[in-house]
Amino acid sequence: MGLTTYVEAIREGIREEMSTDERVFVLGEDVAVYGGAFKVTAGMLEEFGENRVIDTPISESGIVATAIGAAMMGMRPVAEMQFADFISCAFDQITNFAAKCRYRWGAGVPIVVRGPSGGGIHGGPFHSQNPEMYFVHTPGLKVVCPATAYDAKGLIKAAIRDPDPVIFFEHKFLYRRVKEELPGADYVVPLGEAEVRRAGSDISVITYGAMVFRALDAAKELEREGIDLEVIDLRSLLPWDRHTVLESVKKTNKVILLHEATRTGGFAGELAAVIAEEAFEHLDGPIRRITAPDTPVPYSPPMEEFFLPQVSDVVRVARELNDY
Amino acid sequence: MSEIKVIMPQMGESIFEGTITKWLKSVGDPVERDEPLFEISTDKIDSEIPSPASGVLKRVLFDVDAVVEINTVVAYIESSDSAESDDSAPVEEHASDPAAAADAPESPPSVGRAGTSTSEIASSPMVRRLAKEHGIDLAALDGKGTGADGRITKRDIMSYIEQQGEEIHPAADSPDDDERIPMTAMRKSIADHMVQSRRTSAHVATVFEVDGSRIMAARDAMKADFERSGAKLTYTPFFVHAVAAALKKFPMLNASVDGDEIVQKGHVNIGVAVALDDGLLVPVIRDADRAGLLDLARSIADLSARARTRTLLPEEVRGGTFTITNPGIFGGLYGIPIINQPQVAILAVGGIEKRPVVIDDAISIRPMAYLALSFDHRIIDGAVADQFMSEVKGRLQGWKS
Amino acid sequence: MLYYMKLTRELEDRIERKLYRQGKILGGVYVGRGQEAITVGACMDLDGNDAICVSHRDMAAFLMRGVTPRQILAQYMGRKTGLTRGKDGNMHMGSLDHNLIAFISMLGDSIPIAAGVGLSYRLRGMKQVTVCFFGDGASSRGDWHEGLNMASVLKCPVVYVCNNNQYAYSTPLEQQMAVENVADRASAYGMPGDIVDGNDVVAVWQAVNRAVERARGGGGPSMVECKSFRMTGHSAHDDARYVPKELFEYWEKRDPITRLETSMRDLGDLTENKLAEMNGRVVAEVDEAVELADNDPYPDPEDCLTGVYFEG
Repeated sequence: MGLTTYVEAIREGIREEMSTDERVFVLGEDVAVYGGAFKVTAGMLEEFGENRVIDTPISESGIVATAIGAAMMGMRPVAEMQFADFISCAFDQITNFAAKCRYRWGAGVPIVVRGPSGGGIHGGPFHSQNPEMYFVHTPGLKVVCPATAYDAKGLIKAAIRDPDPVIFFEHKFLYRRVKEELPGADYVVPLGEAEVRRAGSDISVITYGAMVFRALDAAKELEREGIDLEVIDLRSLLPWDRHTVLESVKKTNKVILLHEATRTGGFAGELAAVIAEEAFEHLDGPIRRITAPDTPVPYSPPMEEFFLPQVSDVVRVARELNDY
Repeated sequence: MSEIKVIMPQMGESIFEGTITKWLKSVGDPVERDEPLFEISTDKIDSEIPSPASGVLKRVLFDVDAVVEINTVVAYIESSDSAESDDSAPVEEHASDPAAAADAPESPPSVGRAGTSTSEIASSPMVRRLAKEHGIDLAALDGKGTGADGRITKRDIMSYIEQQGEEIHPAADSPDDDERIPMTAMRKSIADHMVQSRRTSAHVATVFEVDGSRIMAARDAMKADFERSGAKLTYTPFFVHAVAAALKKFPMLNASVDGDEIVQKGHVNIGVAVALDDGLLVPVIRDADRAGLLDLARSIADLSARARTRTLLPEEVRGGTFTITNPGIFGGLYGIPIINQPQVAILAVGGIEKRPVVIDDAISIRPMAYLALSFDHRIIDGAVADQFMSEVKGRLQGWKS
Repeated sequence: MLYYMKLTRELEDRIERKLYRQGKILGGVYVGRGQEAITVGACMDLDGNDAICVSHRDMAAFLMRGVTPRQILAQYMGRKTGLTRGKDGNMHMGSLDHNLIAFISMLGDSIPIAAGVGLSYRLRGMKQVTVCFFGDGASSRGDWHEGLNMASVLKCPVVYVCNNNQYAYSTPLEQQMAVENVADRASAYGMPGDIVDGNDVVAVWQAVNRAVERARGGGGPSMVECKSFRMTGHSAHDDARYVPKELFEYWEKRDPITRLETSMRDLGDLTENKLAEMNGRVVAEVDEAVELADNDPYPDPEDCLTGVYFEG
């Protein structure tokens, strides 16, 4: 078997679920005939027909609401946001309708809302955002941010099977850049479980999405200096894997929190709070954050590069922390 | 017949008070359920308020023009309808939380540091924890830190510990098959109190043996009478009674320590420990020296029942001056208890069981119990403690009904 | 029909005018006084498998689907026995067992939700339809427009029933929209827009039935606008002093319950005995429900932590 890219992995995951479960269908802007702006759903119309792959008007709120209505009636819709940035248009339906139905009146809403997020492709302010935290702050939702092809497939399958609404943030920078050989057999990656990408003894780098690779590159560079990084890929942000994070902190005693989303109110803040609450006496240095600054995502290449956390940032902070 | 509360309703989500503009009924007037009773005015609406029940308007608590917070009782109706429930509306009341009040004397001092000057020595939370766990004064490492600006790092303290020949047991190294169970709030509170007490008092114990023949006989004789008046008679009231009387005679055991002063308590308030599934509570019998056996039996039964259902009031677990605990129920001979701070002594009563004893050079079978007293040697001398115990023993063995 | 209209009126009156003012109900109370014919007429002939997307003045839909007055009162009183077990209040409730879809406070959100419900029927080749209620106020929301367009483009079997009661809280119709009728907008989404007298239960019933048949036959969504009037404030804490008295007087004469009684009498379908018997039965049912609900337990405080996610 050859290598499978991240985008192919998502497509395969959805296709497999559609083949085994008639309730699964996809809907969104340009997903059928065109196969999706990033070709995630390419070939599905031909394979499954127009009742399972549905082109819709440009109505993000309407798309999500239509998915919710069908889900309450027993279906398993997968709704695409052409860019994750546009999910803001559906914010109300996701946070007020989908997230609260089960709590209020016991109605499960098993939808997946998925779309490409993240920068590094010169998309500018409206095609590069990382909007995960709006949803992490909403009880009732689950939020997933895969980094590898294996996880992207395993997590999309788990998300489709999940009885609750899952917001699935793909990273468009990774779509065709990461690839690996995937197992032929059916598998899922459970929501809420982190993965230790690299075991190390000196500093834990806790991250997710495209930043996982920045952390791994930094670890390679620091290896030569005798600084041994442990890299934790959270994979899911809601729920998130406290156990793996705290165990890592208790082992290395120093922490870097790394994400592409902006700083204030970012997931690093939540991680820092929990680490301080539950592993304070295991800390041998300050908790350090590496994030994008509190600005919109700029377009021009030098500015975007400055905006996004780089390998050199991780190396620099790790050295400081090592010397602390 | 029951009293029904009439409350100021919440007329709108943001409304928190209303003005009473008119009473449509006077005290003593009969009123039907749903009949207009009074009128109110709020920022949002003027409204006629119907009566919640049929009956007679008994009391009016606010006059016209009074501004009243929502959910406040404004009047009482004596209901003619016994089926009416009084507590249907969530009227503001103070909830009591006995667990939160679990015999906490004062908040424990903050986690101790190994050395007096530790706070000025640059280290980290982890280094301070390791120092505490291994009894290391960080001053010993002062100036030897290899971190930024001479900070003592994890590596520094670990190698220091190794030099001292100690084995290190970081908490994270526990094997995978160990189970970690988080402490409940009550368990944490007990743990803190126990450790704090050990650190505070100079614990010394003395153990006496008591012949329970007389109190057993007395209990058998009175049991039926007590039950008729609704009290179950156990041995505990006898011990409380004897201890209370002995404390009057030896006030040094009914005291606390405040700095350089001894505070002899004006009341004899005896706490009786009640074991629960996940900890224990110590309800307090106030002025136990003034209560008769029947009163003691009743209040012990009531307090321990409510301790088990967690319905004690906060004041019912506060203010004890001496504690009695009862470790004998599972067959232990005696236990040496930890003093319940800020008290200075605690008595553990073992189980009563028949044992051979020598009386007048003959072996006799008697119901015997061990009494173990832990006392604070800072202010109580051994002789005083033993005299107190002798007094308790004498009262129990010579029990006069 | 008359029975459900009366039961709704009595139950809502009791909630708004008695229990709320006695402090037994906290939070918002929104009733459909004077608009009962819309919900009752629209739901009369629906199949139990047809989903209903309710709005906040549609208590009748719950009663007609077999939700008991006691459950409704318990919901209002925050008791464990309410449909949301105390998690939400007043008309914010639903039940998949009864095919009743709860609305949320962001009125208008249900319009595209109903499109999805309808879509699920169409995709699976089912003959069901869904009826979705909304008010004139909701028609100003973006989701309303997205939802109608979506339903039409995807040919969803949905009947959108507008309760046009002329006021969105305190804002009269002419300050809400620049067209005369809500139904005028239907043509923009390629669906028929029927306008009927919302206080005439028979007219509502007939118009909705036509739309339901069209949807069942694969003809896609329709809209039925029912002209009525809100005979109360927006909610129980609103005395509606901004509404001219004459309007209330005008509509009072067109009360849907009185009208139905009169026409049934004229047709010989209603005797005084029968009417008295029905009135008595309605009051007794509500009396009993109040008694039962008032004695129902509150939820345990810690229950607030449960049910956020699927719990197996």
